[in-house]
Amino acid sequence: MSGADAPVVAVTGAASGIGAATAALFRDRGWRTAGIDLRGSDTDLSLVQDVTDAAGMRAAAAEVAGSFGRIDAAVAAAGYYEEGIDVCDITQAQWDRMLAVILGGAVNTCSAVLPHLLARDSGSIVVISSELALGGSATDLHYVAAKGAVLGLVKSLAVEVAATGVRLNVVAPGPTDTPLLAEDSLWRKADYLRTLPLGRLVRPDEIAEAVHYLTTEGSAYCGEVLSPNAGAVI
Amino acid sequence: MAVDQSERRVALVTGAAQGLGHATALRLAADGFAVAVNDVRDDGRLTRLAESIGGLSLPGDIADPMAVTSMVATLVAELGRVDALVANAAAMQMGPFLEQSAVDWWRQIDVNLSGHFRLVQAVVPHMRAAGSGRIVLIASEWGVSGHANATAYAASKAGLIALAKGLARELGPQGILTNAVAPAYIDTEQLQVDADDAGVSLEQIKAIYADLIPTGRIATVEDVAGAVSFLVGSGGSAVVGQTLQPNGGVVRTRA
Repeated sequence: MSGADAPVVAVTGAASGIGAATAALFRDRGWRTAGIDLRGSDTDLSLVQDVTDAAGMRAAAAEVAGSFGRIDAAVAAAGYYEEGIDVCDITQAQWDRMLAVILGGAVNTCSAVLPHLLARDSGSIVVISSELALGGSATDLHYVAAKGAVLGLVKSLAVEVAATGVRLNVVAPGPTDTPLLAEDSLWRKADYLRTLPLGRLVRPDEIAEAVHYLTTEGSAYCGEVLSPNAGAVI
Repeated sequence: MAVDQSERRVALVTGAAQGLGHATALRLAADGFAVAVNDVRDDGRLTRLAESIGGLSLPGDIADPMAVTSMVATLVAELGRVDALVANAAAMQMGPFLEQSAVDWWRQIDVNLSGHFRLVQAVVPHMRAAGSGRIVLIASEWGVSGHANATAYAASKAGLIALAKGLARELGPQGILTNAVAPAYIDTEQLQVDADDAGVSLEQIKAIYADLIPTGRIATVEDVAGAVSFLVGSGGSAVVGQTLQPNGGVVRTRA
């Protein structure tokens, strides 16, 4: 485990996929990690917390800051995916839940963590969006709309706090090999992968690298959207 | 552990005598690359840089196709391979569109866009033979948004962004990843061109630009060199056809 002066990152969705890969990479690079997820995560401080609960997220951030004495960075990676649903068949409940988790989760993460960063006048928040928000997609419109809304949120909030030392940016992954993509997902089909310049899914650790770069060397970025997407959207 | 010279990755950085290219050469050398450095002429700075990083000095005008051919031949003869190309050299002259001479206008296209096109042509066969490679084209925010009195420069830089996208699609399947970096205002000597065009001092143009930038500061050359380092490094393996914009938030559009 890293020393008591090591920087601290809080990662939502840290129990699996991109969140887990991000927490693991930051820990490898000497960070202390807090994971926030519905399930326990392999982090230095695993908190079981629903990102849609604003008060719960504020309490979680306070616990991270209390345990480690500081928060240097946050990564909002919590999310889920649904595909293969015609626009007319997306129920109100499906729409509301997607917005609550993807957009609401990002809002709650920023609201909970930002005061800790502003108090130190430094730090970074990276929110995970999706290449589907850049290029659009079919049969997953609630996911696309929610991930697109995240772009507007982060770009605006980035400018809102730009005069401070706090930076907010987005990583918009391409189709990534995580449990969110079902075995029969359209994005795993050979026909689709052949259309990608790299001809393959993105690995979660490649997303984590982009997040780490923005967090550690990204002070000149403000509302940037970085796209490790295998060429899905160029 | 000693690094076998033949295993050491090789980068070529154009426009490396000063500013961003210089900082990028230093960064890539620190990252472990053997770095060949080019600029239009060597007034001593290029050689000193090459000596300081144990690299190779390759002066030459990239707008001259013969110079490009011989430069890459020397590079491969001396260092054995080329893994990364950082296309940074740029000619820039500001002036109203209708008043700038055709010579001055096209010189910027010849260097910035056509010169690097020929350099890409020269290095790609070596990257193809290796089955991998990274190309980073240094564009500009002015190539994204445009700027008065900079039509040629903006056109060349917008062309580089489009070139990066095309190369990404064409070469990506062969393991050669191309991306662009579009900084806005960087603290380099080139700002003197901007200052002269605006009729203000260097310090005044820096203050004017800082006011335009949400983060309130002009980017450092190290900021941009860091972007290049990410793109040519192991962490950039899924990034292809993208334009990174370390611009302090001055524009937040897709490029």
